[in-house]
Amino acid sequence: MLKDFQKFGRDLFLAGLNSSHSGNLSVRCGDRIIITRRGAMLGHLEERDLIETGLEKNDSNIILASTEIRVHRAIYKGTAALAIVHAHPVHAVALSLLEDEIIPVDSEGAYLLHKVPVLSAEHTIGSKELEEKLPTLLKEYKIVMVRGHGSFAVGQVLEEAYQWTSCLEHTCRITCLTRTFKRDLQEKRTSRYREW
Amino acid sequence: MILCGWSGKALRVNLSSGRITCEDIAPKVLADWIGGRGLGAWTVAGEIPAGCDPLGENNKLVFAAGPLTGTGVPGTGRFSASSKSPLTGTIFDSNAGGRWGVRLKKSGFDMLIIEGVSSAPVYLTITDGQAALHEAGNLWGADVIETNSNLKNMLGKDTSIACIGPAGENLVRFASIMNEGHRALGRGGLGAVMGAKKLKAIAVQGSKKVNVADAEKLNFIVYEAGKWIKANPITSQGLPEFGTPVLVNLFNELGVFPARNFQASQFLSAARISGEAIAETIFAGRQGCHGCPVQCTRLIKTPKTGITAGPEYESIWALGPECGIDDLEVIAEANYLCNRLGLDTVSTGVTIGCAMELVEKGILKAGFTFGDAAGLPRIVKQIAYREGTGNLLAEGSRRLAEKFGAGQYAMQVKGLELPAYDPRGLQGMGLGFATSNRGGCHLRAYMAGPEALGVPKMVDRFDTGGKAGLVINQQNINAAIDSLIACRFINMAVSEEYFARILSAATGIDYSPQDLYRIGERIWNLERLYNLRAGLDSSFDTLPPRLLEEPVSEGPSRGKTVELEPMLAEYYRFRGWDESGIPLPKKLQELELEG
Repeated sequence: MLKDFQKFGRDLFLAGLNSSHSGNLSVRCGDRIIITRRGAMLGHLEERDLIETGLEKNDSNIILASTEIRVHRAIYKGTAALAIVHAHPVHAVALSLLEDEIIPVDSEGAYLLHKVPVLSAEHTIGSKELEEKLPTLLKEYKIVMVRGHGSFAVGQVLEEAYQWTSCLEHTCRITCLTRTFKRDLQEKRTSRYREW
Repeated sequence: MILCGWSGKALRVNLSSGRITCEDIAPKVLADWIGGRGLGAWTVAGEIPAGCDPLGENNKLVFAAGPLTGTGVPGTGRFSASSKSPLTGTIFDSNAGGRWGVRLKKSGFDMLIIEGVSSAPVYLTITDGQAALHEAGNLWGADVIETNSNLKNMLGKDTSIACIGPAGENLVRFASIMNEGHRALGRGGLGAVMGAKKLKAIAVQGSKKVNVADAEKLNFIVYEAGKWIKANPITSQGLPEFGTPVLVNLFNELGVFPARNFQASQFLSAARISGEAIAETIFAGRQGCHGCPVQCTRLIKTPKTGITAGPEYESIWALGPECGIDDLEVIAEANYLCNRLGLDTVSTGVTIGCAMELVEKGILKAGFTFGDAAGLPRIVKQIAYREGTGNLLAEGSRRLAEKFGAGQYAMQVKGLELPAYDPRGLQGMGLGFATSNRGGCHLRAYMAGPEALGVPKMVDRFDTGGKAGLVINQQNINAAIDSLIACRFINMAVSEEYFARILSAATGIDYSPQDLYRIGERIWNLERLYNLRAGLDSSFDTLPPRLLEEPVSEGPSRGKTVELEPMLAEYYRFRGWDESGIPLPKKLQELELEG
């Protein structure tokens, strides 16, 4: 378990999907959650950075858990997810400030993600609002952007949630790049995903 | 000049003459020392002779609110009391929540100075700028709950009472001043100072409005801070759900939860007395300071206590594992008795633990030893009334152990009993204990934050390198926060920048975070200078021999002692003090203090 957290935590940081102390990872183990410690550096996770606490019930470890614990819990309770990756991918965050939904323009993004909704909330960190709204969206989508904050991706294992995160940032980079060229896209197929 | 945040007024009550006067406090004094602990330290240092007998006529008791008290900002309804401690002989401040401080402020005062000694028991009433002394013969001997309800019945429900119980009257050196029945200005025996002055209670009513400079800005900062308080699992989940006992299991698992007078650093039955155990057994509700979103007080219900405020983390530990006791209901009962009788739970438990070890080693003959749950309530009462062995324990662990030539078994620093952290597994905490100006205290520098909870960031708890700087910064900023006067739990979720901004909005004076560090450093050095004048030199900056010489025998901290010497040397240098711990002239000049 620790090795998986270390592997994907490190990759998220090295790929620029998180800054030094941002983001968090978790997995669900029955009625327990293992989540990264509040303020842990995902690029340098150690055993003490993995905090086990209840899915429904708090225990004393709650005071060590990530600030987003309430959102992770809500997602697990509202979906079939077994793993969650929360990241702050730069290009995706930038696009989330401009768009109400992110429609991939590249093949991989279109194939894997189709469309990524952007959720607006007044309180974007560890908030009750996200706790209420994110699970509903994540029933339909693999990954959701919280405007100006970051992504929440779900999977059956950490690798899966990591893949959606990586893919989203990749597609957003392409979108940003194409916009810098100030020319119309030759490929129009993405429009159909607006109705996805 | 129109002051915002402060009233600029102090009330002075001389119990020897009965004279009551209202004084102005200079705006510069308020701006420099803020309130609470800072204002208290400035007054104590300026008015109380360092060599005086803490229980004599020359000692004074200084109550102070802060510029945020009464503004409605969450976590700021606190007040402090400062004096020379009869337990430690040091300058000492202790603070508590509740409404007493708010009402003192709304009665028109930032500070209340009690001086002299009354010839007979009295209580003081303060109502919207007016104060009077009243004969208290009928209250003398009453416990805290009785005193509180008698005075409230007489004066009205909108009255807040700070009072002492029998322990304060009997000059127990760790007697507390109690506020609203269960809120304690617990540490340092300031209740005994009040008892020596024959002052049973101070009843306060206040209806004045506290002016702030920029209410709109203040509200916005509070709103922004509220996001963090609501998001942080410590302030939004751990403390609201379990209160401070949330720490029991955590620190026990780390091997920093002392047991049996620090003979062990883990307690096998910790789970039975944890926050989770309370929630499942004796929990009866939540309570908190006025307007606070955290609501960390646990109400509990047991056959012996009825519904009452439950024991905090430190109290559970001191009256439980420290004495080898794992019976939650007995611990709750002992905690309840301490509150009723007006005793500091930490010093009570640790002194009993010390006595238990003396009994175990055949040094002291008494009818109790480790694990004696049935006897615990009896011992607590004996201390408060100074009966039998209790009379020895009422002097505190240091005087008790030294009386038998066994001072090494007293788990104290400068006479103040240590709290619930084994510093052998938290090296920085050890330095914090040793250098604390009021003795063995975890609140001056809460190094368990970075060393165990990752607040603000996680550091290696066994490492000594760099700890001096962290301890100093915590000591400095906490001295400022204790002057605002704000709750430390809020500090778990927000940074010092928040406190600087909110202080600026309330007072209209521009404070930066660095200003707060400097104010804290001035307070720290002022306190140090007072202690030096009182005869507490660097030889008092140490720890009990057990923590320096006896390695932990098992658990995650196995094999560790506190490596104090290198940390202490670095600490003195970092502070700008000489190798004897005396502030150098250059430092005093920089801080604009007189040596």
